[in-house]
Amino acid sequence: MSIWQEAWDYISSGANWMGENGLTRPTFDGGWKFAHDSIVALTIEHLYMSFAAVALAAITALPLGIALGHARRGGMVTVALSNVSRAMPTLALLTLFAASAIGFGNRAVIIAAAIFAFPPILTNAFTGMADVDADVREAAEGQGLTRLQVATRVELPLAWPLIAAGLRTSASQTVATVPLAALVAGGGLGVIISTGMATQRYGEVLAGGVLVAALTLAVDAGMGALQRRLTPPPLRAASLAPA
Amino acid sequence: MHTRLAPLAALATSALFLAACSSGTTESPTSSSDTTGATAMAAQQCLPVPGDTIMVLEDDMMLQNSDNVIPAVNAETANDQAVLDALNTVSAVLDTPTLIQLNKAVDIDRQTSAEVAAQFVADEGLSAPSEGSGSLVVGAANFSENITVAEIYAAVLRDAGYDATVRTIGNRETYMPALTSGEVDVVPEYAATAAEFINRSLNGADADAVASGDIAETKAALDGFSDFGVVFGEPSDAQDQNAFAVTTAFSEQYGVTSLSELAENCAGIALGGPPECPERTFCQIGLEDVYGIEVTDFSSLDAGGPLTKTALRQGEIAVGLVFSSDGELGA
Repeated sequence: MSIWQEAWDYISSGANWMGENGLTRPTFDGGWKFAHDSIVALTIEHLYMSFAAVALAAITALPLGIALGHARRGGMVTVALSNVSRAMPTLALLTLFAASAIGFGNRAVIIAAAIFAFPPILTNAFTGMADVDADVREAAEGQGLTRLQVATRVELPLAWPLIAAGLRTSASQTVATVPLAALVAGGGLGVIISTGMATQRYGEVLAGGVLVAALTLAVDAGMGALQRRLTPPPLRAASLAPA
Repeated sequence: MHTRLAPLAALATSALFLAACSSGTTESPTSSSDTTGATAMAAQQCLPVPGDTIMVLEDDMMLQNSDNVIPAVNAETANDQAVLDALNTVSAVLDTPTLIQLNKAVDIDRQTSAEVAAQFVADEGLSAPSEGSGSLVVGAANFSENITVAEIYAAVLRDAGYDATVRTIGNRETYMPALTSGEVDVVPEYAATAAEFINRSLNGADADAVASGDIAETKAALDGFSDFGVVFGEPSDAQDQNAFAVTTAFSEQYGVTSLSELAENCAGIALGGPPECPERTFCQIGLEDVYGIEVTDFSSLDAGGPLTKTALRQGEIAVGLVFSSDGELGA
């Protein structure tokens, strides 16, 4: 039986999708957690962790990038910040967290993935704001707009395609990185891969890989659609450029 | 007007989208506000207790196979009784606490295996009972415990008059052929695992298991494989096998020192171990079937590695799978 056949058998069985005992499990301390024998539950958990990580990164990176980009200052700082956080190996971070007070499991993974999701959002927000044409800005100021109005009504709409592209890149990268959670007692679709490896059922490993890839592509497509929807109509032609 | 609203709409929608991401997805797909798990537990639910020191719960019903350290000798080399005599003197003094201390010296105190072995031989005053001559190669698997025992074997063989060298080879699939061919003369082995390995290579991959929790039975099985070309010396009391550890604080709080007591005193426990644990007889399945321990929550960590031990210490899990000779158990 080929590995593709085994992978297909795993994916095509309904029991693997819904799990044996529903989507959640009670834990020892009275809480609940996602059942790790259900693809649906793992996918929901995977998306929750990815979104939490991207949201955490966006909450910190967007205001910073937009403010710095608007002031056209701190280009060096953003580049340095981005490069440092991009160079952080996520798995090493998880191992460090496990040995510290942060511990492991989903919360630690969300924090590590947020650090990973941070650079594309920051750089794109900064670049988008800083690269608005100086003539446009001056024209806006000449119309009597305040600096805040210039930022929110002129620069931000023009920068939005690039900011959204950063969010999109960050989201799809994060969805593809979150499978590492399975290595530190976390959840998400990585569980299928690591369990398959441990039990030497390589069809399951392949199925898990395919599921992660499919979810990443789906999230990327979804974010792409959102990016288009949120881009002001006159700018749509420009935003079709690949992220 | 429209052009002014568009960016505002964009901002508002993106803010809403982000807010939805950060809060909305934490809702469970099935309502979980009622804690059904807590009410199902009638007896005492043993929650994990964080602590710095970990200890192994006694495997009193012999769930684990007897993986005692035992010298495996090439059949031709074993014709020289002096070799077996020398190796058996090592088996006589080696037990699990000693092995833990040896591992602690190498893995935690960062001494070399050779130093630790020399120190051990000197401290125990080991000397070979009979004389021999010639050169011997002691092979070792590629992990520190096995190398240390190989160094001890070599030291005692030198004491007997042999010219013994230690060579680190790799895993069992690599060193067993070298042992049967005579490329290496001696390897420190683990009784049950070696018995099953030889059993499978002689009788096919689906052969019935021959090893058990009783070392005498396992040794008898090993002695039965005379066609394989390897002779086994006397097994030592030192075991390196799956073991279930708790923090000493947990042990004191719930009064458990063995797995049977754990089954008696605890209605449910949180277990941590390697990802394959829920499907392995020597792990979760054995705990449930042999001891009747109810595992309410399993965390997939590593096989007796740093994650499992950290999870135990931090109180993320109550019971964790470790290896019985882990150097950290000697702390």
